[in-house]
Amino acid sequence: MLSHWRQYLAISPFFLVFGVFSFFPVFYSLYLAFQRWDGLGTVQFVGLQQFRFLWDDPVFWLSIRNTLVIWVLSTVPTLFGALVLATLLHSVRRFKGFYRIALYIPNVTSIVAVSIFFGAVFSNNFGLVNAILGTVGISPVPWLSNPWLIKLVIALLMTWMWTGYNMIIYLAGLQAIPTQIYEAARLDGAGPIRTFFQITMPILRPIILFTVIISTINGLQSFSEPQVLFGSNAANPNLGGPGQAGLTTLLYFYQSAFVNNDYGYGAAIVWAFFVLIMVLVVVNWRVVQRGRKS
Amino acid sequence: MDLSRRGFLQAAALTAAASGLTVACGGGSGSAGGKNGKNLTLWYWGGALSDKVVAEAKTHFSGQVKLTAASIGGDFKQKLTTTLAAGASVPDITGIKGEDMASFLPNANRFLDLNDLGFKKIASQYLDWKTKLARTEDGRQIGFPIDIGPTALFYRADLFDKAGLPTDPDKVAARAGTWEEYFALGTELGKKVPGTYLVNNISSVFNIAVGQGSARFIDQDNHFIGDQDHIRTAWDTAIRPYTLGIDAKINDNTWNAAIGKSLSTELGAAWHALDIEQAAPKTKGKWRVCATPGGPANQGGSYLALPKQCRNPEEAFKIISWILSPENDARGFTDAAIFPAAPAAYAMPAMTGGDPFFGGQKVIEVFGPAAKAIPASYEAPADAAVMAPFMTELSSIEAKGKKPADAWKDAVAQARQIARRQGVN
Repeated sequence: MLSHWRQYLAISPFFLVFGVFSFFPVFYSLYLAFQRWDGLGTVQFVGLQQFRFLWDDPVFWLSIRNTLVIWVLSTVPTLFGALVLATLLHSVRRFKGFYRIALYIPNVTSIVAVSIFFGAVFSNNFGLVNAILGTVGISPVPWLSNPWLIKLVIALLMTWMWTGYNMIIYLAGLQAIPTQIYEAARLDGAGPIRTFFQITMPILRPIILFTVIISTINGLQSFSEPQVLFGSNAANPNLGGPGQAGLTTLLYFYQSAFVNNDYGYGAAIVWAFFVLIMVLVVVNWRVVQRGRKS
Repeated sequence: MDLSRRGFLQAAALTAAASGLTVACGGGSGSAGGKNGKNLTLWYWGGALSDKVVAEAKTHFSGQVKLTAASIGGDFKQKLTTTLAAGASVPDITGIKGEDMASFLPNANRFLDLNDLGFKKIASQYLDWKTKLARTEDGRQIGFPIDIGPTALFYRADLFDKAGLPTDPDKVAARAGTWEEYFALGTELGKKVPGTYLVNNISSVFNIAVGQGSARFIDQDNHFIGDQDHIRTAWDTAIRPYTLGIDAKINDNTWNAAIGKSLSTELGAAWHALDIEQAAPKTKGKWRVCATPGGPANQGGSYLALPKQCRNPEEAFKIISWILSPENDARGFTDAAIFPAAPAAYAMPAMTGGDPFFGGQKVIEVFGPAAKAIPASYEAPADAAVMAPFMTELSSIEAKGKKPADAWKDAVAQARQIARRQGVN
């Protein structure tokens, strides 16, 4: 190992930066979860008190429920839509590059810009959607105050952003499938639907597994969307929208740590949430893997 | 792929030099320099100070020091907290928002005591209740008051006229002297001019009603008092427009759109005038201002402070006391609707003129007396955090039709828990 010191030295900047800016903060936050700290004063050890507060905190559980609902509402259409779009794009003959770029653009647009746009489009009183509904005689829908519709709007926003991203991954997977298999299937008399479910899906399984896990991690980390949609200010410090229906766990963490200066509690929230994400990733893994054994 | 020894050494030396330089620069601007530095940095946010006054301060003091002003965007408190915690690149002079002051007071040792630098001598020029909010219990003065946010009732004179109500500020103030009278006026207005509402949401009513009292959510002995009568009264006041149907229930970002259309009145601080003006420029001349129903309250209003790392406290204090002298304070009102914390400014020509947006009304006649009559109240470090659940539950009532009794119960329970988490007993 020592004989390779030059190579190790050459790659060391990444690990040094990673250590200082990622590895250390992660474990410092674990340390903070057992303290009370306002960010400037002395750090006071409180043992498991923060976690006990967490267990009794209805807002924390509400934020978990909100996050899970938004996650399901966005991940399912995102992955399904991405797969359908990828299949369509795979069979398209002309303008391939254009379609790819067009569908991928939402992902590289700033979340903040998109959230502001969605906020304007779905606004209760003066939004575009309600204006259009009004012209056909439908009374305004309270998109940004009904607890379910708030989640729906956030999920829609996330679907819009992440469908193209997953589509590109699926497309790469589709292009790796040898065409001979499809030719053989066609000779055996399989239609497009059957081909899709019997050939495309099983071969894509590892890629689907990958996107499911990435989407789980991404979807559970929703923060900017509700933060921008229901931004707070001095006069109106409520976060997460009316009735906190759009309060995701990360938004709650941000509110606790950086708005309330309660860094210990914030750290406890994210560590509890980390455990939850790990559990969900394992569950996902099992569910997607199960079909393979049979 | 093998790196030649010479190439590698060159690359390594360059990297080391680059990182060395960065470190040197990073450290130099904050910690080094002693106590009579020639370069001073000032952190503030857009609209906190008059940009013109800041620019003039640079030239005014160019003989002694070089002042660099930086307008810091985003979450100002968070950026300041992290910088102070890190202890490097700390600004020599910094703004602190009024609502954040309470949370900085427990760490007063991070700042210089302005009394040592001569604030004591000029303190009487500034409103006492405002100065007191930036003072620790042992008398250390952390913040130099920039501005305050005395509240008032903004109303649409044209809509009042349409409804056959008085439009003259004094007469409106007389008609809407108490909250109940104000709501009665709103009910009448709603009947005569359909499609208009009295308040944008009930959280804003609650916010002001709490500010009208002399006690808030936590008392000076660090006890939670958010479940007591004074808060309950403010809560009940806030619920009234909701039950009367004169609440526009605006909890999303559509306030800008509503302000020129469906809102007939607006409760807010002096700086709120600029928000209304920017959101509804077409309603210019139609607005008037009168006293807040139930008495004045304060919303917002900021401070300047000198962090402990300040490289030239004497000069820095000279600069801030120049920027915030009553004369320059009055200019802040003209330039950026910053309402001065120095009452002497209220009589200056910069402030006594008529405001065309308010139909030429001399708004100082409303805000001036309000500023002096604001009740002093103790604001605990956790106060803002403890207040948040009340606001959230009020928005729940509006958005989901949650029963006010349930909402009150949940708000108190939640506030109590946040208080306990923050070490309030």
